[in-house]
Amino acid sequence: MMSKKNYSLVKWLLLLFLGIWVVFTLFPLYWQVITAFKSAAETNLTVPTFWPKEFHPENFVAVFADPTNFKALVDSFIIATGNTLLSLFLGTLAGYAFARFPKQAGGENLAFWILSNRMFPPVAILIPMFFLFDALPWGTDSYMSLIILYLVFNMPLATWLMMVFFRDAPRELEEAAYLDGFTPFQAFWRVTLPLVLPGMVSVGILCWIFAWNEYLFANLFVGSAVRTFTIVIPTFTSGSQSLWNLQMAFSLIAMVPPVTLFIVLRRYMVRGLSLGVVKG
Amino acid sequence: MSRLEIEGLCKGWDFPVIDRLDLVVEEGEFFVVVGPSGIGKTTLLRLVAGLEAVDAGRVIVGGKDISKLPPYRRKIAMTFEGYALYPHMSVFRNIASPLIAQKIPKAEIDRRVREVAKLLRIDQLLDRKPGEISGGQKQRTALGRTLISKPSVFLLDEPISHLDAKIRHELREQFHTLEALRRVATLYVTHDYSEALSLGDRVGMMGNGGLVQVGTPRELFEAPADLFVARNLGQPTINIVETRARSEDDRLLLESLSGGALEFALSPAQREKLNGHASGTISLGIRPQNIRVLPEGGKPQSSEQVQGRCIRGTRCHFHRNN
Amino acid sequence: MSTGSGSYGAVANPSQGVPDWFAKRKKIPTNLIVARWVPVALVGLPVLTLLAIVIYPTIWMFYHAFQDTNMMRLFQSNWSFVGFENFITVLSSSRFSDSIWHLTLYLTFGTGLEVVLAVILALTLFELVQKPLLRTLILIAVVLPMMLPPSIVGVLWKFMLTPSNGAVNHALLSMGLISSPVEWFNAGVSLWSIIIADVWNWTALPLLIIYSGRVSLPPAVYEAAKVDGAGGWIVMRRITLPMLKEVIAIAFIVRFMDAFKFVDLVYVMTSGGPAQTSELPAYIAFQRGIREFAIGEAAAYAIIIFACSAVIITLFLKYLKKVLKAQAIA
Repeated sequence: MMSKKNYSLVKWLLLLFLGIWVVFTLFPLYWQVITAFKSAAETNLTVPTFWPKEFHPENFVAVFADPTNFKALVDSFIIATGNTLLSLFLGTLAGYAFARFPKQAGGENLAFWILSNRMFPPVAILIPMFFLFDALPWGTDSYMSLIILYLVFNMPLATWLMMVFFRDAPRELEEAAYLDGFTPFQAFWRVTLPLVLPGMVSVGILCWIFAWNEYLFANLFVGSAVRTFTIVIPTFTSGSQSLWNLQMAFSLIAMVPPVTLFIVLRRYMVRGLSLGVVKG
Repeated sequence: MSRLEIEGLCKGWDFPVIDRLDLVVEEGEFFVVVGPSGIGKTTLLRLVAGLEAVDAGRVIVGGKDISKLPPYRRKIAMTFEGYALYPHMSVFRNIASPLIAQKIPKAEIDRRVREVAKLLRIDQLLDRKPGEISGGQKQRTALGRTLISKPSVFLLDEPISHLDAKIRHELREQFHTLEALRRVATLYVTHDYSEALSLGDRVGMMGNGGLVQVGTPRELFEAPADLFVARNLGQPTINIVETRARSEDDRLLLESLSGGALEFALSPAQREKLNGHASGTISLGIRPQNIRVLPEGGKPQSSEQVQGRCIRGTRCHFHRNN
Repeated sequence: MSTGSGSYGAVANPSQGVPDWFAKRKKIPTNLIVARWVPVALVGLPVLTLLAIVIYPTIWMFYHAFQDTNMMRLFQSNWSFVGFENFITVLSSSRFSDSIWHLTLYLTFGTGLEVVLAVILALTLFELVQKPLLRTLILIAVVLPMMLPPSIVGVLWKFMLTPSNGAVNHALLSMGLISSPVEWFNAGVSLWSIIIADVWNWTALPLLIIYSGRVSLPPAVYEAAKVDGAGGWIVMRRITLPMLKEVIAIAFIVRFMDAFKFVDLVYVMTSGGPAQTSELPAYIAFQRGIREFAIGEAAAYAIIIFACSAVIITLFLKYLKKVLKAQAIA
């Protein structure tokens, strides 16, 4: 057993470590922000500056000098939203069936199989799907290709989490609705859906963030007709030089939606991130 | 017409829960099913309601076999043990729910909800959410939801078990006076024996797999069909003494296996009834209510042998150490 | 109150074995609520989708792993069967064995370290930071990196680790921690750069999970410990850590599984270089297939990774099943 004195020393060391960690996490973000305000020349000085010599808020406008950059945000939004809606729709159907009619819906093992697809290594999917989509009418360079591909990781997650949420919604309430004379669809619509709505929103937002941030699939599949912001950012260069200030400015803009959603809804999202284990 | 007939009802999951159960509840009858928890009482209600499918047997209401119908086509109302109120709807919308399902015009819904709410004395709470009202009020709301739809069968699952004593008593009184319950067959489930005896027109004692005995409360209390019924009805529990019996002419001799003996004089009628049974080992049951402590001369128990006592209202209970 | 012994036979209960109807009943009970096809249809739609987007590629990869397919042969459709040649090529190459070593380093000092750090940080934050507002602010601060897309994380760290004029080298030099700039993207160092960026990016996930797990522990347990006079460290070791066991395991496994398919930061930051010194197996599969067009070999890589992760996924799902079952009972 530790003595009292040692214990309080350990306490202070732990707090110090936490403080260092906070600096470690915030410093790159700080760097990102100040770089976004620097001039291109200042970012390439031999001795980096820890505070901008002069502020260039116009960087944030300059990013959109090329209108395709704004379109990249729109493309990302369309793909993320389309994929989220599809994942949520399919996931809600299956999640409900697994929660309420487990045996008829194929049982626990099928639910686990669906979840396991989320952990599937994407490289095993990339190449075959590339050739498959190439042969399909919409091709690889389209909204459709990414909306479908992102189902690989988002739909299993949505199915699994919706199952967890539906299990939490008391079955008794639905049964009461049947006895009131409502058909299963009416009971689902009037009673169960309002109850799982908060969960459903958090699942949707989690899926949306994953799709919004995705890089690997987008990098391979799209690039000219459709470009997501994740693949656009590394391409901000002038000759062989990276335009760090514009990259940082653009990434700050692109970070706003996921960061805001996360800060507001972090409590609900923990459930999803831990696959339903932690109640948050 | 709302006579409820249950024929050869069977249901099991990992093991048989209800095994060939038969029961008829007449129109207007208040039938109470009582039994220890986990014996399948709720399963029985769920089978009648259609929330579970029967494995075998039939459920017949008003002469029509409904065992294959889904719950929303059965016109049966049921209260749940946990009330099952919709937490996101007001008390008004909770009560109105069955009428909304029947697509009844708004004005009539409004009128009927207020009528039922007044009857149950929750008309002040109609705008509140279930989270904002007390347990007793929740129970009344749940009751209101079942009363409003004019179903043919009422199923009540432990409707007052989770309430405190005062409200229990009040609601118990209310069951006696509810006119609506007098027109339909009511199946009431409880694990509380005194509730069963005081409420039921008839009472069915449920044991493993089915009804052990069906009869009026008095019949069950005074002439239990077996030890299970005898032991479970009545508080404090009946005293059961294992005895060796011997009958001699007009006398019955019972020797307790743990010592002591009793001797009874038998009337001819009693002798007739006992014929053949009064031999070998039999169980003697004596309700504590029927025991009188006699004054000197009647050989009372010495006071040291009385182990402890607990006082319940107007009666004192003594426990004797064996 | 006596409730009658459980084995006491009621009238209708045959004590001799199971009744006839019970043996004959359907194993999946009839469902009165919806028609039998409804649940099948509800589940069928997602399952069919997954079959299309996961099973089809799996079969395709399994097929081509045994062919000598490359990009040209693929377009001309004249590949041929080569048996286990691709697997032999992969398994005997030093590129593969090097990448396994890299993966080991990444799993230990990336994934593993992240979870250890997360446990320490999450519990320090919860137990030792008393002000609720400060606690929330710190939590948000340390969890932010997780919300960034990998391409931004990659670009940002690449920028900061620039050897000549990067922020990190400059900061370390001015603090006197190093005497000359670290060449972050040289052979032998670049893998560590990736690991640093990954720790920065992903420690947040286990941290958030463990912190929330700690928040949801019942306070009653701690009050009891307080009454018993148990000190902070004892409470931590005897109560908190054992009760958080499952949560920590889940946090670890969630990270561990991502590690096997980890490609994006490698791709953005170093492209596996220099000279393949920061390649991980999943990255090589990606690189061989997409950049170098050796599809047969890439498929072999993918299948090896798939086999490894399948084992781990199975173990994980078993564990998850256990945890969720225990929760359902509690």
